[in-house]
Amino acid sequence: MLRRTWTKVGPRSLLCVLALGAGLAPQANAADPLKIGAIFDLTGDLNIYGVQQMRGLRLAVAELNAAGGVGGRRVEVIESDAQSEQAKYTQYANTLVMRDRISALFAGLTSSAREAIRPIVRRSNTPYFYTSLYEGGACDKQTFVTGPSASQQLSVLVEWAIKTYGPRIYIMAPDYNFGTISASWVAHYAQKFGGTVVGTDLLPLTVTDFSSTIQKIQRAKPDFVVALPVGANQTGFIEQFSAAGLKDKVGLVSTNYGSGNQQVVVSPEAGKDIVAFPEYMMWVNNPENDAFRQKWEQAYGTDEPIIGTAVDTYNAVLLWAKAVEKAGTADAAQVIEALESGLTLEAPNGLVTLLPQSHHLQMNIYVARANTQRGFDIIETRPAVLPSFESEVCDLIGKPKTAKHFTPPGL
Amino acid sequence: MTLDYIAIAILSSLSTASILLIATLGLAIVFGLMGVINLAHGEMIMFGAYAALLSTRLGVPFPLAVLLATGATALFGAVVEILIIRRLYGRMLDTMLATWGLSLALYQSAVLAFGSVTPGIGMPQMTVRIGQYGVSAYMVFLIFVAVSCVAGLFWLLTRTGYGIMARAAIADAETASAIGIESSRMNTVTFALGAGLAGFAGAILLPVFPATPSMGFALAIKAFLAVVVAGPLPLSGTVTAIGTLGTAGGITSSIWSTAAGDLFFFGTTILILRLWPNGISSLWRYKL
Repeated sequence: MLRRTWTKVGPRSLLCVLALGAGLAPQANAADPLKIGAIFDLTGDLNIYGVQQMRGLRLAVAELNAAGGVGGRRVEVIESDAQSEQAKYTQYANTLVMRDRISALFAGLTSSAREAIRPIVRRSNTPYFYTSLYEGGACDKQTFVTGPSASQQLSVLVEWAIKTYGPRIYIMAPDYNFGTISASWVAHYAQKFGGTVVGTDLLPLTVTDFSSTIQKIQRAKPDFVVALPVGANQTGFIEQFSAAGLKDKVGLVSTNYGSGNQQVVVSPEAGKDIVAFPEYMMWVNNPENDAFRQKWEQAYGTDEPIIGTAVDTYNAVLLWAKAVEKAGTADAAQVIEALESGLTLEAPNGLVTLLPQSHHLQMNIYVARANTQRGFDIIETRPAVLPSFESEVCDLIGKPKTAKHFTPPGL
Repeated sequence: MTLDYIAIAILSSLSTASILLIATLGLAIVFGLMGVINLAHGEMIMFGAYAALLSTRLGVPFPLAVLLATGATALFGAVVEILIIRRLYGRMLDTMLATWGLSLALYQSAVLAFGSVTPGIGMPQMTVRIGQYGVSAYMVFLIFVAVSCVAGLFWLLTRTGYGIMARAAIADAETASAIGIESSRMNTVTFALGAGLAGFAGAILLPVFPATPSMGFALAIKAFLAVVVAGPLPLSGTVTAIGTLGTAGGITSSIWSTAAGDLFFFGTTILILRLWPNGISSLWRYKL
């Protein structure tokens, strides 16, 4: 019965379907909008970062559209909320790539989110922008990183801190790859700049009481502590460190303090004089940043200080737009080629250069000291710092088929 | 290892255990006296922390803010008991599911109401020094707070009319109601007491743990384990469980690493539950 119906109706409806399919096939019409996808954590634990990442993206897109779009085409964003859950990244990345056929993807804060996304964009050959500071080492053709890597920040941090405080270093870091890899970079640069690591405590993210770490720090007698607190719980470390009376004797430096506005949560007395080494802080002084801040504050108000990852996301969109303009098409292969042509951008955090081999940014690293107004003073600018490790190990021009996550030697 | 280091390690381990005890008492009371596992306990701690934070921002001095937060959370607990818990008596799994749902709702409400970062109040920058080592004075003060809490609860449950009636209602609800004890009212008060203790914990620990929507989760993990290890006696069981587990875990972290301390804490918990599946106090003959 079924079979008979099929033979009767079959050929005709098949023809219909084919005709329909031809009509629906994506045709790059000049008037069609360019679709880009964005997946960030708008709710849940990580929304300290995710909300601002999305705001940075929206601001850049609004700017592009106000100026007539990219290559004459309007940019349309398809937003997804990953809810601070890893599985959602896989799900939404697949949807955006397969259903929405996006031209580029901007997504993720944590390294695990990025690693969930990379295989998907590799398969679909979609340019993907990861816009956060991280432990470094991601290397493949479709992935572009606009945040600083650990080696980029830590080379400046270790050199500066040894010169300022002395050679003895204690490391307090979260117990997963960001923390362990960062810790091994600290050890690496300590050797290079004449310091020694006198102790390391790797902490589970659920630890809230740091009494024992603080005792161990006192026993090891370091000149400074490299603290890499991740998440709300570890912010308490700063408070407890200070209340134990260690602030006067021991320096406190960090790559990521302030990257989630921790200086707002920590009391000014405890946070004062912590030195961070970010790629951006809203107190950076240059005309691009003045203009950027004005636009941001107009759109979102002044409740929350702007964080680095927001600017990294903003920069990523503008770099992608430059590449599309240059390629004259949104076609992935040609856009990737244009992205690998040494693009530069006068960004809110100073001049950034997208390095063709490593797909990482050469950018300024700032030395920022926390003040008593829940903000930072920029005390030094290290211009055009290279992501030295990624430049060394990752060459996507010479070996375009590389798809790896490099880790530092000895780990 | 010098004498002053050992002294400071013991002192800070005691304060670690005290923090855990303060965060656990509310859960232990509700479980011990009502048989209810309140999975929203962590979020009630968070509720207290935000209540205290908002009060201090309105200019209320911190000690008073702690009292206000305790009262507000207790009141909230009473409402929760009347609206949710009392409808699910004797259905432990359903109660767990309902309180878990409540915890999710409270967490997301906090995210929506306060955003993800709220300025903290900070710890008093006072230090107790022993030899060449220092420990925060507030952490030492918390040991005193924990001891006072236990003493106060012991007094409340053994020397006051409420305490005797609440225990009577738990021991034998039918006989208790026959002599005129309204057990449902007792339960409302007991649940409010547990919630109030959670709120108190959030408030008194606010200087150490800044208020964030997710703060309750980290504090509640060990609290739940401690209650399971403690067994049926809410006071003596909990105090013993935390006193040994917390202090020994703290010393282990001081000597080796924080990860080793956690490993010791969870490892010992597993071992104890293997030996005494109903908790260490299941064979004791005390009343509380």
